[in-house]
Amino acid sequence: MTTSATTSDLIRAVEQASSAEAMLLATVRLADAASKRPEQAAVDCLVGVLGFNNPGAAVAAVEGLIRLGEMAVTPLLSQLDPRNYGARAWAVRALAGIGDVRGLELLEEALASDVGPSVRRAAACGLGQLKLKGLPPGQRVEVSSRCLEALVAGQEDGEWVVRYAVVVGLERLVGQFEGSGDGLARARTTLAGLADPGREAVPVVRLRAGLALENLPG
Amino acid sequence: MAAALHDTPPAPGSGLGGEPISEAEALARLRQTDDQSAQYYAAWWLGRMRSQHPEAVPLLRAALAQRQPRDPAAGVEHNAVARNAARALGKLGDAAAIADLLAALDDDDDGLREAAARALGELRAAEAVSPLRRRLASGPAGAGAPRPDSPRLQEPCEALLEALGEIGVASGEVLAVIEPFTAHDRPLIRSAACRALLQLSGDPRWAEPLLQLLQDPQLQVRRAALMDLGAVGWRPALEPICRTLAENSLKLIALRGLVENGGQHGDDPGPVLTAMDALL
Repeated sequence: MTTSATTSDLIRAVEQASSAEAMLLATVRLADAASKRPEQAAVDCLVGVLGFNNPGAAVAAVEGLIRLGEMAVTPLLSQLDPRNYGARAWAVRALAGIGDVRGLELLEEALASDVGPSVRRAAACGLGQLKLKGLPPGQRVEVSSRCLEALVAGQEDGEWVVRYAVVVGLERLVGQFEGSGDGLARARTTLAGLADPGREAVPVVRLRAGLALENLPG
Repeated sequence: MAAALHDTPPAPGSGLGGEPISEAEALARLRQTDDQSAQYYAAWWLGRMRSQHPEAVPLLRAALAQRQPRDPAAGVEHNAVARNAARALGKLGDAAAIADLLAALDDDDDGLREAAARALGELRAAEAVSPLRRRLASGPAGAGAPRPDSPRLQEPCEALLEALGEIGVASGEVLAVIEPFTAHDRPLIRSAACRALLQLSGDPRWAEPLLQLLQDPQLQVRRAALMDLGAVGWRPALEPICRTLAENSLKLIALRGLVENGGQHGDDPGPVLTAMDALL
Protein backbone atom coordinates (compact mmCIF):
# COMPACT_ATOMS: atom_id res chain seq x y z
CA MET A 1 0.00 0.00 0.00
CA THR A 2 1.39 3.40 -0.93
CA THR A 3 1.21 6.60 1.07
CA SER A 4 -1.32 7.92 -1.38
CA ALA A 5 -3.85 5.21 -0.49
CA THR A 6 -7.27 6.76 -0.22
CA THR A 7 -9.56 6.27 2.75
CA SER A 8 -11.72 3.94 0.70
CA ASP A 9 -8.65 1.80 -0.15
CA LEU A 10 -7.80 1.61 3.53
CA ILE A 11 -11.38 0.70 4.43
CA ARG A 12 -11.43 -1.99 1.78
CA ALA A 13 -8.23 -3.44 3.23
CA VAL A 14 -9.93 -3.71 6.63
CA GLU A 15 -13.05 -5.29 5.15
CA GLN A 16 -11.10 -7.79 3.08
CA ALA A 17 -8.44 -8.74 5.63
CA SER A 18 -8.05 -12.50 5.52
CA SER A 19 -6.27 -13.04 8.85
CA ALA A 20 -6.28 -11.54 12.33
CA GLU A 21 -2.86 -10.08 11.68
CA ALA A 22 -3.84 -8.53 8.35
CA MET A 23 -6.88 -7.03 10.06
CA LEU A 24 -4.72 -5.53 12.81
CA LEU A 25 -2.32 -4.02 10.28
CA ALA A 26 -5.13 -2.62 8.13
CA THR A 27 -6.86 -1.14 11.19
CA VAL A 28 -3.66 0.54 12.37
CA ARG A 29 -3.20 2.08 8.91
CA LEU A 30 -6.78 3.28 8.71
CA ALA A 31 -6.66 4.73 12.24
CA ASP A 32 -3.41 6.56 11.47
CA ALA A 33 -4.72 7.96 8.21
CA ALA A 34 -8.00 9.00 9.85
CA SER A 35 -6.26 10.95 12.58
CA LYS A 36 -4.53 13.04 9.88
CA ARG A 37 -7.52 13.17 7.53
CA PRO A 38 -10.72 12.61 9.51
CA GLU A 39 -13.57 11.21 7.41
CA GLN A 40 -16.90 9.83 8.56
CA ALA A 41 -16.50 6.65 6.52
CA ALA A 42 -13.28 5.86 8.38
CA VAL A 43 -14.97 6.42 11.73
CA ASP A 44 -17.81 4.09 10.78
CA CYS A 45 -15.36 1.42 9.69
CA LEU A 46 -13.36 1.70 12.93
CA VAL A 47 -16.57 1.37 14.95
CA GLY A 48 -17.33 -1.73 12.88
CA VAL A 49 -13.95 -3.25 13.82
CA LEU A 50 -15.02 -3.22 17.49
CA GLY A 51 -17.50 -5.97 16.66
CA PHE A 52 -15.10 -8.29 14.82
CA ASN A 53 -13.88 -10.26 17.86
CA ASN A 54 -10.25 -9.34 17.11
CA PRO A 55 -8.76 -7.84 20.30
CA GLY A 56 -5.58 -6.52 18.67
CA ALA A 57 -7.51 -4.71 15.95
CA ALA A 58 -10.07 -3.48 18.49
CA VAL A 59 -7.31 -1.89 20.59
CA ALA A 60 -6.01 -0.10 17.48
CA ALA A 61 -9.54 0.99 16.55
CA VAL A 62 -10.23 2.29 20.09
CA GLU A 63 -7.00 4.30 20.01
CA GLY A 64 -7.91 5.71 16.61
CA LEU A 65 -11.45 6.59 17.73
CA ILE A 66 -10.11 8.36 20.82
CA ARG A 67 -7.83 10.46 18.61
CA LEU A 68 -10.79 11.29 16.38
CA GLY A 69 -12.69 12.44 19.45
CA GLU A 70 -16.03 14.15 19.17
CA MET A 71 -16.91 12.98 15.66
CA ALA A 72 -16.73 9.35 16.82
CA VAL A 73 -19.29 9.75 19.60
CA THR A 74 -22.52 9.50 17.60
CA PRO A 75 -21.39 6.47 15.58
CA LEU A 76 -20.22 4.78 18.79
CA LEU A 77 -23.59 5.32 20.43
CA SER A 78 -25.82 4.63 17.44
CA GLN A 79 -24.14 1.84 15.51
CA LEU A 80 -23.67 -0.52 18.40
CA ASP A 81 -25.31 -3.89 18.30
CA PRO A 82 -26.58 -4.29 21.87
CA ARG A 83 -26.30 -8.08 21.55
CA ASN A 84 -22.59 -7.92 20.77
CA TYR A 85 -21.05 -7.76 24.23
CA GLY A 86 -17.47 -7.45 22.97
CA ALA A 87 -18.29 -4.47 20.77
CA ARG A 88 -20.08 -2.74 23.63
CA ALA A 89 -17.11 -3.23 25.94
CA TRP A 90 -14.73 -1.69 23.41
CA ALA A 91 -17.13 1.20 22.84
CA VAL A 92 -17.15 1.93 26.59
CA ARG A 93 -13.35 2.13 26.48
CA ALA A 94 -13.44 4.46 23.49
CA LEU A 95 -16.07 6.73 25.05
CA ALA A 96 -14.16 6.79 28.34
CA GLY A 97 -11.09 7.96 26.47
CA ILE A 98 -12.92 10.57 24.38
CA GLY A 99 -14.53 12.15 27.42
CA ASP A 100 -17.59 13.53 25.64
CA VAL A 101 -20.59 13.98 27.98
CA ARG A 102 -22.88 12.20 25.52
CA GLY A 103 -21.21 8.99 26.70
CA LEU A 104 -22.25 9.60 30.32
CA GLU A 105 -25.21 7.24 30.38
CA LEU A 106 -23.32 4.34 28.86
CA LEU A 107 -20.44 4.86 31.31
CA GLU A 108 -22.82 4.97 34.28
CA GLU A 109 -24.49 1.75 33.14
CA ALA A 110 -21.17 0.06 32.50
CA LEU A 111 -19.68 0.87 35.91
CA ALA A 112 -22.86 -0.19 37.70
CA SER A 113 -23.56 -3.43 35.93
CA ASP A 114 -21.15 -4.62 33.25
CA VAL A 115 -19.99 -8.19 33.87
CA GLY A 116 -16.41 -7.49 32.73
CA PRO A 117 -14.11 -5.96 35.36
CA SER A 118 -11.98 -4.40 32.63
CA VAL A 119 -15.05 -2.63 31.25
CA ARG A 120 -16.12 -1.36 34.69
CA ARG A 121 -12.51 -0.25 35.21
CA ALA A 122 -12.51 1.79 32.00
CA ALA A 123 -15.92 3.26 32.82
CA ALA A 124 -14.79 4.40 36.29
CA CYS A 125 -11.78 6.07 34.78
CA GLY A 126 -13.90 7.67 32.06
CA LEU A 127 -16.39 9.08 34.58
CA GLY A 128 -13.52 11.08 36.03
CA GLN A 129 -12.48 12.61 32.75
CA LEU A 130 -15.61 13.80 30.95
CA LYS A 131 -14.90 17.22 29.52
CA LEU A 132 -17.02 19.65 31.50
CA LYS A 133 -15.44 22.85 30.23
CA GLY A 134 -17.60 24.61 27.68
CA LEU A 135 -20.87 23.13 28.99
CA PRO A 136 -23.53 25.50 30.30
CA PRO A 137 -23.09 25.89 34.08
CA GLY A 138 -26.31 24.07 34.94
CA GLN A 139 -25.39 21.04 32.86
CA ARG A 140 -21.86 21.08 34.23
CA VAL A 141 -23.20 20.73 37.76
CA GLU A 142 -25.62 17.99 36.74
CA VAL A 143 -23.03 15.96 34.85
CA SER A 144 -20.39 16.20 37.54
CA SER A 145 -22.82 15.20 40.25
CA ARG A 146 -23.98 12.17 38.24
CA CYS A 147 -20.33 11.16 37.73
CA LEU A 148 -19.72 11.57 41.44
CA GLU A 149 -22.73 9.43 42.41
CA ALA A 150 -21.71 6.68 39.99
CA LEU A 151 -18.16 6.65 41.35
CA VAL A 152 -19.29 6.71 44.99
CA ALA A 153 -21.44 3.64 44.28
CA GLY A 154 -18.46 2.02 42.53
CA GLN A 155 -16.47 1.92 45.79
CA GLU A 156 -18.46 -1.23 46.63
CA ASP A 157 -17.29 -3.10 43.52
CA GLY A 158 -16.01 -6.61 44.27
CA GLU A 159 -12.90 -6.27 42.07
CA TRP A 160 -9.89 -4.43 43.43
CA VAL A 161 -8.95 -3.03 40.03
CA VAL A 162 -12.34 -1.38 39.67
CA ARG A 163 -12.05 0.20 43.13
CA TYR A 164 -8.57 1.39 42.14
CA ALA A 165 -10.07 2.98 39.01
CA VAL A 166 -12.82 4.56 41.15
CA VAL A 167 -10.08 6.25 43.20
CA VAL A 168 -8.39 7.57 40.06
CA GLY A 169 -11.76 8.63 38.61
CA LEU A 170 -12.65 10.55 41.78
CA GLU A 171 -9.26 12.24 41.85
CA ARG A 172 -9.69 13.40 38.27
CA LEU A 173 -13.30 14.45 38.78
CA VAL A 174 -12.60 16.67 41.80
CA GLY A 175 -9.85 18.32 39.77
CA GLN A 176 -12.69 19.69 37.60
CA PHE A 177 -15.04 20.69 40.45
CA GLU A 178 -15.71 24.37 40.77
CA GLY A 179 -16.53 25.50 44.26
CA SER A 180 -19.09 22.79 45.05
CA GLY A 181 -18.16 22.00 48.64
CA ASP A 182 -20.67 19.17 49.07
CA GLY A 183 -19.30 17.17 46.16
CA LEU A 184 -15.76 17.61 47.38
CA ALA A 185 -16.74 16.44 50.87
CA ARG A 186 -18.46 13.36 49.44
CA ALA A 187 -15.43 12.51 47.34
CA ARG A 188 -13.23 12.93 50.40
CA THR A 189 -15.39 10.57 52.49
CA THR A 190 -15.35 7.95 49.73
CA LEU A 191 -11.58 8.17 49.33
CA ALA A 192 -11.11 8.00 53.09
CA GLY A 193 -13.11 4.75 53.15
CA LEU A 194 -10.97 3.29 50.37
CA ALA A 195 -7.82 4.30 52.27
CA ASP A 196 -9.01 2.68 55.52
CA PRO A 197 -7.45 -0.71 56.35
CA GLY A 198 -10.60 -1.61 58.31
CA ARG A 199 -12.72 -1.33 55.15
CA GLU A 200 -10.43 -1.88 52.18
CA ALA A 201 -8.49 -5.14 52.11
CA VAL A 202 -6.21 -4.48 49.14
CA PRO A 203 -3.04 -2.53 49.97
CA VAL A 204 -2.52 -0.97 46.55
CA VAL A 205 -6.05 0.46 46.57
CA ARG A 206 -5.48 1.97 50.02
CA LEU A 207 -2.14 3.40 48.95
CA ARG A 208 -3.63 5.03 45.85
CA ALA A 209 -6.61 6.38 47.82
CA GLY A 210 -4.23 7.88 50.38
CA LEU A 211 -2.31 9.59 47.60
CA ALA A 212 -5.57 10.94 46.11
CA LEU A 213 -6.55 12.34 49.52
CA GLU A 214 -3.23 14.14 49.78
CA ASN A 215 -3.77 15.64 46.34
CA LEU A 216 -7.28 16.86 47.14
CA PRO A 217 -7.75 20.61 46.88
CA GLY A 218 -8.44 22.57 50.06
CA MET B 1 1.53 -18.13 37.52
CA ALA B 2 -1.78 -19.93 37.64
CA ALA B 3 -2.33 -19.10 41.29
CA ALA B 4 -3.25 -15.53 40.52
CA LEU B 5 -5.74 -16.67 37.93
CA HIS B 6 -7.46 -19.26 40.09
CA ASP B 7 -9.54 -16.69 41.89
CA THR B 8 -12.07 -16.88 39.12
CA PRO B 9 -15.62 -18.20 39.30
CA PRO B 10 -16.09 -21.95 39.39
CA ALA B 11 -15.41 -24.06 36.36
CA PRO B 12 -18.12 -25.54 34.19
CA GLY B 13 -19.74 -28.50 35.85
CA SER B 14 -20.50 -26.65 39.06
CA GLY B 15 -23.87 -26.20 37.41
CA LEU B 16 -24.52 -23.08 39.42
CA GLY B 17 -22.82 -20.15 37.78
CA GLY B 18 -21.83 -17.28 39.99
CA GLU B 19 -25.08 -16.63 41.82
CA PRO B 20 -24.77 -14.81 45.15
CA ILE B 21 -25.36 -17.03 48.19
CA SER B 22 -25.04 -16.45 51.94
CA GLU B 23 -22.28 -17.86 54.11
CA ALA B 24 -24.81 -20.08 55.88
CA GLU B 25 -25.94 -21.42 52.50
CA ALA B 26 -22.35 -22.09 51.43
CA LEU B 27 -21.65 -24.01 54.65
CA ALA B 28 -24.86 -26.05 54.23
CA ARG B 29 -23.98 -26.90 50.63
CA LEU B 30 -20.51 -28.01 51.62
CA ARG B 31 -21.83 -30.10 54.54
CA GLN B 32 -24.17 -32.24 52.43
CA THR B 33 -22.51 -34.83 50.18
CA ASP B 34 -25.27 -35.85 47.74
CA ASP B 35 -24.71 -33.00 45.32
CA GLN B 36 -21.02 -32.63 44.59
CA SER B 37 -21.48 -29.73 42.22
CA ALA B 38 -23.07 -27.78 45.08
CA GLN B 39 -20.11 -28.70 47.28
CA TYR B 40 -17.71 -27.61 44.57
CA TYR B 41 -19.27 -24.17 44.34
CA ALA B 42 -19.49 -23.83 48.14
CA ALA B 43 -15.79 -24.62 48.60
CA TRP B 44 -14.87 -22.02 46.02
CA TRP B 45 -17.22 -19.48 47.62
CA LEU B 46 -15.77 -19.89 51.12
CA GLY B 47 -12.24 -19.32 49.82
CA ARG B 48 -13.15 -16.43 47.60
CA MET B 49 -15.04 -14.67 50.41
CA ARG B 50 -12.25 -15.40 52.92
CA SER B 51 -14.86 -16.89 55.27
CA GLN B 52 -13.91 -16.63 58.92
CA HIS B 53 -16.76 -18.84 60.11
CA PRO B 54 -15.49 -21.43 62.63
CA GLU B 55 -17.05 -24.25 60.61
CA ALA B 56 -15.45 -23.29 57.33
CA VAL B 57 -12.02 -24.87 57.88
CA PRO B 58 -13.32 -28.14 59.45
CA LEU B 59 -15.80 -28.59 56.58
CA LEU B 60 -13.15 -27.84 53.96
CA ARG B 61 -10.78 -30.33 55.60
CA ALA B 62 -13.49 -32.97 55.39
CA ALA B 63 -14.10 -32.06 51.75
CA LEU B 64 -10.37 -32.37 51.06
CA ALA B 65 -10.66 -36.06 51.95
CA GLN B 66 -13.45 -36.68 49.42
CA ARG B 67 -12.59 -38.55 46.24
CA GLN B 68 -14.56 -38.64 43.02
CA PRO B 69 -13.93 -39.80 39.48
CA ARG B 70 -13.62 -37.48 36.53
CA ASP B 71 -16.81 -36.86 34.58
CA PRO B 72 -15.80 -35.40 31.22
CA ALA B 73 -19.41 -35.32 29.97
CA ALA B 74 -20.38 -32.94 32.77
CA GLY B 75 -17.05 -31.09 32.60
CA VAL B 76 -16.16 -32.24 36.13
CA GLU B 77 -12.47 -32.78 36.91
CA HIS B 78 -11.05 -35.63 38.97
CA ASN B 79 -11.53 -34.98 42.71
CA ALA B 80 -13.09 -31.64 41.90
CA VAL B 81 -14.44 -31.00 45.42
CA ALA B 82 -11.17 -31.91 47.10
CA ARG B 83 -9.18 -29.70 44.73
CA ASN B 84 -11.41 -26.71 45.40
CA ALA B 85 -11.27 -27.40 49.13
CA ALA B 86 -7.45 -27.32 48.96
CA ARG B 87 -7.54 -24.01 47.07
CA ALA B 88 -9.91 -22.51 49.62
CA LEU B 89 -7.83 -23.71 52.58
CA GLY B 90 -4.87 -21.86 51.09
CA LYS B 91 -6.84 -18.64 51.15
CA LEU B 92 -8.26 -18.95 54.67
CA GLY B 93 -4.86 -18.77 56.32
CA ASP B 94 -5.53 -21.33 59.06
CA ALA B 95 -2.52 -23.49 59.96
CA ALA B 96 -4.89 -26.23 61.17
CA ALA B 97 -5.20 -27.27 57.52
CA ILE B 98 -1.48 -27.87 56.97
CA ALA B 99 -1.36 -31.54 58.03
CA ASP B 100 -4.20 -32.48 55.66
CA LEU B 101 -2.65 -30.53 52.81
CA LEU B 102 0.68 -32.29 53.38
CA ALA B 103 -1.16 -35.60 53.06
CA ALA B 104 -2.78 -34.39 49.83
CA LEU B 105 0.69 -33.59 48.51
CA ASP B 106 1.23 -37.38 48.39
CA ASP B 107 -2.04 -38.16 46.60
CA ASP B 108 -2.01 -40.12 43.34
CA ASP B 109 -3.96 -37.34 41.64
CA ASP B 110 -1.44 -34.81 40.38
CA GLY B 111 -4.16 -32.16 40.07
CA LEU B 112 -4.82 -32.47 43.78
CA ARG B 113 -1.08 -32.37 44.50
CA GLU B 114 -0.93 -29.18 42.48
CA ALA B 115 -3.76 -27.52 44.42
CA ALA B 116 -2.28 -28.67 47.75
CA ALA B 117 1.17 -27.32 46.84
CA ARG B 118 -0.24 -23.92 45.97
CA ALA B 119 -2.24 -23.83 49.21
CA LEU B 120 0.81 -24.76 51.28
CA GLY B 121 2.70 -21.96 49.55
CA GLU B 122 -0.04 -19.47 50.40
CA LEU B 123 0.04 -20.67 54.02
CA ARG B 124 3.85 -20.24 54.06
CA ALA B 125 4.02 -23.75 55.53
CA ALA B 126 7.68 -24.42 56.35
CA GLU B 127 6.73 -28.07 57.03
CA ALA B 128 6.05 -28.45 53.32
CA VAL B 129 9.59 -27.59 52.20
CA SER B 130 11.01 -31.11 52.57
CA PRO B 131 8.14 -32.92 50.82
CA LEU B 132 8.10 -30.33 48.02
CA ARG B 133 11.84 -30.71 47.60
CA ARG B 134 11.50 -34.51 47.47
CA ARG B 135 8.86 -34.28 44.74
CA LEU B 136 11.22 -32.19 42.61
CA ALA B 137 14.50 -33.94 43.48
CA SER B 138 14.57 -36.11 40.33
CA GLY B 139 14.97 -32.90 38.31
CA PRO B 140 13.78 -31.89 34.85
CA ALA B 141 14.37 -35.39 33.44
CA GLY B 142 12.34 -37.06 36.22
CA ALA B 143 9.72 -34.88 37.88
CA GLY B 144 9.87 -32.57 34.88
CA ALA B 145 9.54 -35.22 32.16
CA PRO B 146 6.43 -35.07 29.96
CA ARG B 147 3.92 -37.87 30.40
CA PRO B 148 3.40 -40.14 27.45
CA ASP B 149 -0.40 -39.90 27.70
CA SER B 150 -1.04 -36.22 28.37
CA PRO B 151 0.47 -32.76 28.03
CA ARG B 152 1.15 -32.73 31.77
CA LEU B 153 4.50 -33.41 33.40
CA GLN B 154 5.19 -36.23 35.87
CA GLU B 155 4.84 -33.75 38.71
CA PRO B 156 2.95 -30.43 38.81
CA CYS B 157 6.34 -28.70 38.69
CA GLU B 158 5.10 -25.17 38.23
CA ALA B 159 3.05 -25.30 41.44
CA LEU B 160 5.77 -27.11 43.41
CA LEU B 161 8.44 -24.58 42.39
CA GLU B 162 6.21 -21.61 43.09
CA ALA B 163 5.29 -22.98 46.51
CA LEU B 164 8.96 -23.25 47.47
CA GLY B 165 9.43 -19.62 46.46
CA GLU B 166 6.39 -18.46 48.43
CA ILE B 167 7.31 -20.34 51.59
CA GLY B 168 10.64 -18.56 51.56
CA VAL B 169 13.09 -21.03 53.07
CA ALA B 170 16.25 -20.03 51.19
CA SER B 171 18.55 -22.90 52.15
CA GLY B 172 21.25 -24.19 49.84
CA GLU B 173 19.37 -27.48 49.48
CA VAL B 174 16.22 -25.74 48.31
CA LEU B 175 18.07 -23.55 45.81
CA ALA B 176 19.95 -26.58 44.47
CA VAL B 177 16.72 -28.46 43.78
CA ILE B 178 15.12 -25.52 41.98
CA GLU B 179 18.06 -24.41 39.85
CA PRO B 180 18.05 -27.24 37.26
CA PHE B 181 14.48 -26.32 36.32
CA THR B 182 15.71 -22.95 34.98
CA ALA B 183 16.91 -25.02 31.99
CA HIS B 184 13.64 -26.94 31.49
CA ASP B 185 12.34 -27.25 27.93
CA ARG B 186 9.08 -25.50 28.76
CA PRO B 187 9.20 -21.73 29.25
CA LEU B 188 6.45 -21.82 31.90
CA ILE B 189 8.58 -24.10 34.07
CA ARG B 190 11.68 -21.94 33.54
CA SER B 191 9.60 -18.93 34.54
CA ALA B 192 8.38 -20.60 37.74
CA ALA B 193 11.92 -21.69 38.66
CA CYS B 194 13.39 -18.21 38.09
CA ARG B 195 10.56 -16.67 40.06
CA ALA B 196 11.22 -18.94 43.04
CA LEU B 197 14.98 -18.35 42.91
CA LEU B 198 14.52 -14.59 42.64
CA GLN B 199 12.14 -14.63 45.60
CA LEU B 200 14.46 -16.74 47.69
CA SER B 201 17.83 -15.21 46.79
CA GLY B 202 17.07 -11.72 45.45
CA ASP B 203 19.87 -12.39 42.97
CA PRO B 204 19.25 -10.27 39.82
CA ARG B 205 20.64 -12.96 37.53
CA TRP B 206 17.31 -14.80 37.95
CA ALA B 207 15.39 -11.70 36.87
CA GLU B 208 17.07 -11.58 33.48
CA PRO B 209 15.41 -14.74 32.06
CA LEU B 210 12.02 -13.52 33.32
CA LEU B 211 12.50 -10.18 31.56
CA GLN B 212 13.36 -12.07 28.37
CA LEU B 213 10.23 -14.19 28.69
CA LEU B 214 8.19 -10.96 28.61
CA GLN B 215 9.13 -10.89 24.91
CA ASP B 216 8.33 -14.51 24.16
CA PRO B 217 6.32 -15.00 20.97
CA GLN B 218 3.63 -16.89 22.91
CA LEU B 219 1.12 -14.76 24.79
CA GLN B 220 0.66 -17.48 27.42
CA VAL B 221 4.38 -17.28 28.28
CA ARG B 222 4.40 -13.48 28.43
CA ARG B 223 1.42 -13.65 30.78
CA ALA B 224 3.19 -16.12 33.05
CA ALA B 225 6.32 -13.97 33.22
CA LEU B 226 4.17 -10.94 34.08
CA MET B 227 2.53 -12.79 36.95
CA ASP B 228 5.87 -14.15 38.15
CA LEU B 229 7.61 -10.76 38.22
CA GLY B 230 4.58 -9.38 40.07
CA ALA B 231 4.70 -12.20 42.62
CA VAL B 232 8.35 -11.40 43.31
CA GLY B 233 7.70 -7.66 43.37
CA TRP B 234 10.75 -7.01 41.19
CA ARG B 235 10.64 -3.21 40.88
CA PRO B 236 13.28 -2.94 38.11
CA ALA B 237 10.75 -4.76 35.89
CA LEU B 238 8.42 -1.75 35.82
CA GLU B 239 9.36 -0.47 32.36
CA PRO B 240 9.60 -3.90 30.71
CA ILE B 241 6.19 -4.84 32.16
CA CYS B 242 4.61 -1.69 30.73
CA ARG B 243 6.08 -2.46 27.30
CA THR B 244 4.93 -6.10 27.22
CA LEU B 245 2.39 -7.07 24.58
CA ALA B 246 -0.41 -8.38 26.80
CA GLU B 247 -3.75 -7.29 28.22
CA ASN B 248 -3.72 -4.28 30.53
CA SER B 249 -5.63 -6.37 33.09
CA LEU B 250 -2.63 -8.65 33.53
CA LYS B 251 -0.13 -5.82 33.56
CA LEU B 252 -2.17 -4.18 36.31
CA ILE B 253 -2.04 -7.38 38.38
CA ALA B 254 1.74 -7.53 37.86
CA LEU B 255 2.18 -3.89 38.84
CA ARG B 256 0.02 -4.40 41.92
CA GLY B 257 2.53 -7.11 42.80
CA LEU B 258 5.44 -4.69 42.35
CA VAL B 259 3.78 -2.31 44.81
CA GLU B 260 2.69 -4.87 47.39
CA ASN B 261 5.53 -7.40 47.22
CA GLY B 262 8.38 -5.10 46.29
CA GLY B 263 8.62 -2.60 49.10
CA GLN B 264 11.54 -4.15 50.98
CA HIS B 265 14.00 -1.42 50.15
CA GLY B 266 11.71 1.45 50.95
CA ASP B 267 11.47 2.34 47.26
CA ASP B 268 8.90 4.97 46.42
CA PRO B 269 5.88 3.21 44.85
CA GLY B 270 4.92 6.47 43.10
CA PRO B 271 6.25 5.54 39.64
CA VAL B 272 4.42 2.19 39.75
CA LEU B 273 1.15 3.89 40.68
CA THR B 274 1.61 6.39 37.86
CA ALA B 275 2.11 3.50 35.44
CA MET B 276 -1.00 1.76 36.79
CA ASP B 277 -3.11 4.90 36.32
CA ALA B 278 -2.04 5.00 32.67
CA LEU B 279 -3.18 1.39 32.09
CA LEU B 280 -6.73 1.82 33.36
